[in-house]
Amino acid sequence: MNYAIVKRLVLKDWYLQRWAIMASLAGVVVTLGIIATGGKVAFLLGLILLIMVIISIGAQMAVATIVTERKEQTLPFVMSLPISYREYTASKIWGNLLIFLVPWLTMVLGSFGLLLWSPSSRGLLPYAAIMSTEILLSTCLILAVALITESQGWAVAAIMVGNLAVNGIGYVVAHIGGIAKGMWGPTIQWSGAASAVLLAELTIVALLLGGTFFVQSRKKDFL
Amino acid sequence: MNNPSVHFDGVSKVYPHFSLDDLSLELPTGTIMGLIGANGAGKSTTIRILMGLVHQDQGRVHVLGREMPREQAAAKLDIGFVSEDMRLYGSATLAWHMKFVRSLYPQWDQSYADTLLRRFDLKPQQKIKGLSHGQRVKAALLLALARRPLLLVLDEPTTGLDPVARQEVLAELVAVLTDEDRTILFSSHNTSDVEQISDQITFIDRGRIIASDDKEKFLDRWRRLRLVLSPEADLPSLPGVVEVGGSERLPVLVTNRFDPAMVSACNDAGATVQAVDPMTLEEIFVANVHSRREKQTV
Repeated sequence: MNYAIVKRLVLKDWYLQRWAIMASLAGVVVTLGIIATGGKVAFLLGLILLIMVIISIGAQMAVATIVTERKEQTLPFVMSLPISYREYTASKIWGNLLIFLVPWLTMVLGSFGLLLWSPSSRGLLPYAAIMSTEILLSTCLILAVALITESQGWAVAAIMVGNLAVNGIGYVVAHIGGIAKGMWGPTIQWSGAASAVLLAELTIVALLLGGTFFVQSRKKDFL
Repeated sequence: MNNPSVHFDGVSKVYPHFSLDDLSLELPTGTIMGLIGANGAGKSTTIRILMGLVHQDQGRVHVLGREMPREQAAAKLDIGFVSEDMRLYGSATLAWHMKFVRSLYPQWDQSYADTLLRRFDLKPQQKIKGLSHGQRVKAALLLALARRPLLLVLDEPTTGLDPVARQEVLAELVAVLTDEDRTILFSSHNTSDVEQISDQITFIDRGRIIASDDKEKFLDRWRRLRLVLSPEADLPSLPGVVEVGGSERLPVLVTNRFDPAMVSACNDAGATVQAVDPMTLEEIFVANVHSRREKQTV
């Protein structure tokens, strides 16, 4: 693996998507600001907007840097460069994850900060960690589907599944005994159930990314 | 003798509705080969296999001494590739593209890139989406040429251009190609484009190479003979006849093994040769394709 080439390709995608990255960062900061105003309505509105912004940036990046690259026929230009399939796949995974991690980490640190700052909502921290990781998982799913299929239709389907999963898992996790118990309390209660869910999410993330590499390395036609 | 820049040995690739069949091909270093075929003949598949972007099902491919597709990254360091379906990033400028490509190719020649900018009349600060199709093709050529490739692969670069832009691109390409010795594979369904540039010609049809030779040999050997047969004379048996047309009394023969002695042989057989017409590359290609397809259906 030529990491210097992978880095160049990642920087290329960062440059080409710089306005979307900046817009998503601004969106995250604004929504965190809404949440910080303190009201219950502001909290709910800000939270919904925050999740929307984060999911959107992950989906937008996968579509713009992978599906659109094929659709707008810039893929032959990229593949004419001295790179292999593995390096292309690595650059897309790293590029997309790093782009996504900027607003995602801002969201995670911002929301954790807000939860810790407000003593009455500290109990929500395990749930927030699980849901933040679920958003990361959904983004990895969209990324994997976009890379493997290079199809707009499949990518849209993955975005829908990812969105539904965030809502569905959010509901289910909020009703798991070990997690629900201390959710609305003033202290952080990190249960075994919370750890298990988080570990499962991280395992699926690893499987999705590893599986994407595996499938891509077995592809016989790249254009 | 130098190793060939491109070597295909028994290469096959099967798709549900198309197959590339037992393709063997050599492109000697320093030559310019025109790959001519109709749409869907297999030109682009051949080139994609050459570039390592499509894996062959069978056979071996070596490009610049590298085994493809395994060593494609190393091989592509010395290949300049421009294809009809290749686009640059519309929101970025040509200057950004040049900087990006330069960062990947240690042998990038900036002074040559500047020369090509002037020759192609391109403005580096202009965004790609603001360029005409002809200018975009020239921009892609600049990016391929300034990396000083040992092998230049051009897959239908003039397709989709209007006649004026096509001639401009070709004229610039011919001028650039005379700069120095290069090994080039130029594919097109437009034979006049290929004729202007190439010194070797390969015809491909329905996934098979049907002929490959020096351009001059093709042009020298292929002739159309217009005969007048006397009532009692039969059509003379001539070598290399691939097509018989015209009427019974005024036959028109196409041969791929023309020899001036044929004229006297015809006269001896009671046929008067009215004309011996040279053939264009396009006529040779079409006659070649028809002849092979007829043989396949027999």
